[in-house]
Amino acid sequence: MGKKRGETIWTSLDRKATAIAEFTIRQYRTRISTWVVLGVGFLAISVVLLFYIDAMNTDIEAIDNDGDSYDWDGDGYVNGQEIKYGTDLNDAFSHPGLLNPPIEPEPASMYINEDDYDWDYSDASSITTGYDNDGDCANSSLLLSQQDGNGDGTPCNIILRYDSLNGGYIVFADPYVDEDPDEDRYGKEAQHRAFILGIGKLGFVFLLSIFIPLFLATGLIRDEMTSGTMQYMTAKPIARGEIFLYRMLGYLAIVWPYLIVVCSLLALVSGFMGPGDQFFRFGDLGVWFSILIAALLATLVYGMLFAFLGVLWKYGIILALPIAAWELGMALLSMSVPESSFLRMSIVGWSMSIIDSGAYLAWPDMAMFTQAGEWAGGSNQGDTFLMFGGNELPGYGALEWAQSDLGLGLGPYATTVVSVIVLLFQATFFWFIGQLIFKSKEIV
Amino acid sequence: MIPDIAQEGSAQEEQWVPEPKAPVVMFNNVGKTYGRYQAIGGVSLALSGGVTGILGLNGAGKSTLFKLLMGKLQPTQGEVRLFGTNPWKNPAPYARVGYVPENENMHDWMTAHEFVSTFARLHGLTRDEAKQEAERVLEFVGLADVMHKKIGRYSKGMRQRAKIAHALVNDPDLIILDEPLQGCDPLARTTIMNVIRELGRMGRTVLLSSHILSEIERITEQIVILHQGRLLAIGNLHAIREQLDNIPHTIEIECGDAKALAQDVLSLEVVHGLQFPSPTKLKIFTHHLGEFHQRLPKIIVDNNHDVMVINNPDDDLQSILGYLTGGYN
Repeated sequence: MGKKRGETIWTSLDRKATAIAEFTIRQYRTRISTWVVLGVGFLAISVVLLFYIDAMNTDIEAIDNDGDSYDWDGDGYVNGQEIKYGTDLNDAFSHPGLLNPPIEPEPASMYINEDDYDWDYSDASSITTGYDNDGDCANSSLLLSQQDGNGDGTPCNIILRYDSLNGGYIVFADPYVDEDPDEDRYGKEAQHRAFILGIGKLGFVFLLSIFIPLFLATGLIRDEMTSGTMQYMTAKPIARGEIFLYRMLGYLAIVWPYLIVVCSLLALVSGFMGPGDQFFRFGDLGVWFSILIAALLATLVYGMLFAFLGVLWKYGIILALPIAAWELGMALLSMSVPESSFLRMSIVGWSMSIIDSGAYLAWPDMAMFTQAGEWAGGSNQGDTFLMFGGNELPGYGALEWAQSDLGLGLGPYATTVVSVIVLLFQATFFWFIGQLIFKSKEIV
Repeated sequence: MIPDIAQEGSAQEEQWVPEPKAPVVMFNNVGKTYGRYQAIGGVSLALSGGVTGILGLNGAGKSTLFKLLMGKLQPTQGEVRLFGTNPWKNPAPYARVGYVPENENMHDWMTAHEFVSTFARLHGLTRDEAKQEAERVLEFVGLADVMHKKIGRYSKGMRQRAKIAHALVNDPDLIILDEPLQGCDPLARTTIMNVIRELGRMGRTVLLSSHILSEIERITEQIVILHQGRLLAIGNLHAIREQLDNIPHTIEIECGDAKALAQDVLSLEVVHGLQFPSPTKLKIFTHHLGEFHQRLPKIIVDNNHDVMVINNPDDDLQSILGYLTGGYN
């Protein structure tokens, strides 16, 4: 073909590449299996979304972490009120009603969640935090030196010190400060973040990004070779490597918009449903964006890999299954031991790094926030004055499971860049091997 | 299985130039084995121009020969050249080749127009050029009125013609048709045969395979006979027939009075045996088929015989192969 007038870059591209890509898109659209796979994926994500919506609409039961809503001596005055007025908790004949003037008993509910966290999560560098909302630190019968248990010179506050050895913060709290946090407020935020990270990592990067390519990409070349229809395409003046690549473009043109739509939908729902006073949680969009990038790259790499396995062997899906199992192991490993070197031999490990980096940037307070959940008003530090209450705050467990630190030992931006480059390299590598095998395959 | 690094793979038409003196199709001592099964062995053949029929029974290696030519298979020995280029290493010559595979699976979900125009774009045509080209070739094979219907709803003959149309895109110099008439009804056969003859008249090199001699005979006289993966005969069908003349042939004649006809026929020295399966049927054995057929009409006319049918049951591929390979069955 000689160059014609009116030849643009688009028309020169709009020949072989778009012909095969369009052909592939239309082929996918005519197959019922495509819609079943995409539909089931959407359904699975939607079910998790329903659990999330349900969790966001359910109040988390308030727990009296410091146990001051109880009335040990049965005099009608709860411990908290007795502490405030300095009467004996264990003596029914010592209570604020006997003071002059007598004090009316206060309801027990006033002493549940009465001293919430006053931590400034948004400022990760702040080390002095906490405020004794209910005044039971300052008003108690404690000596001034006892009110400054952490010895920083200021009574009734909390010191957070960054533990560079193990990561995370260590809490040094004065007694009765932030000792009865609001479970609902903390739990909703923790559950919200755990949901985004969990669905991003296991829903998008693992479930969708492995199973959609497994069903859609494994047969990308293989099905045509088996049915014999590849005869038509390979009889044209086009290299097999190009066929492989352009078929892949068609696959991406189906899968990527699907991921974009599902991811945007979840970002919208969770943005409106999520906790907080704001109308929409714009701050989460960075995490959703990193989830989307990770999923797009993962579907690209897995697509190339599985299409290559399909070319390699008629029953390529059998080769793909152990890889999917390995990747599941790596996905779980990346959530608990993100620095493990095994993860470097996986696809999912690099994808997870992108999400962790996104979360690190969007929620810089994560380390302090998780520490707050673990500390749980001091009930996890074995303080003697706390005999009641649970261990960690609700939502902490889920968040701790879903979030992980940056495993590469690099900053968030560097981690993202390195991970993206590695994933692109993996995709190119699998394409190169795949087309090499495809070229040497006889098409019977 | 092991990747062949030497494969070029890029199919830039402007980079690839056919060798001017090379034959369109060249096989040099080509062999292809699948495990222990030898599909083709020691085939040497060069073809340029004209319509050539590749004849052979099922399993004779016709499709293997074509697939070697189309770079789908790698020869185990010898070399295959398409316009002087090794098709296994370089797909560029396909810019000038149209291939109609034997495979009956097609993209049933497409219309013939979409099918042809999509694959036309793989020749480097733009969307609009491909559409025009598709309309042209579909018109040529006589599918213009149904080209916007799904291929899945086509009859066998229409599917074959759609396949042929897709191969004719970009006006190739070489057209390879693997069993193009298989499974078609007589009307479709005639249409397809006309298309092939027309291509031959247009000066294209056409290769078509069949296991039915009479089909090939109606299209071309230039034939190649393959048997059990070996090249048995090349050349003009009639010349091959002549060679077969001095081996026994059977002619069956149905007539009013077999005995009367037998008396007259016996006067020919080329006849060396007779049989009477029924009173109205005569079986004649001869070593010189050509000469016998030259002299038979005169005998019938001179003696006023009432002849209904003259049948040459041996004149099919099976018998020719039998003679060529030495057996008389």
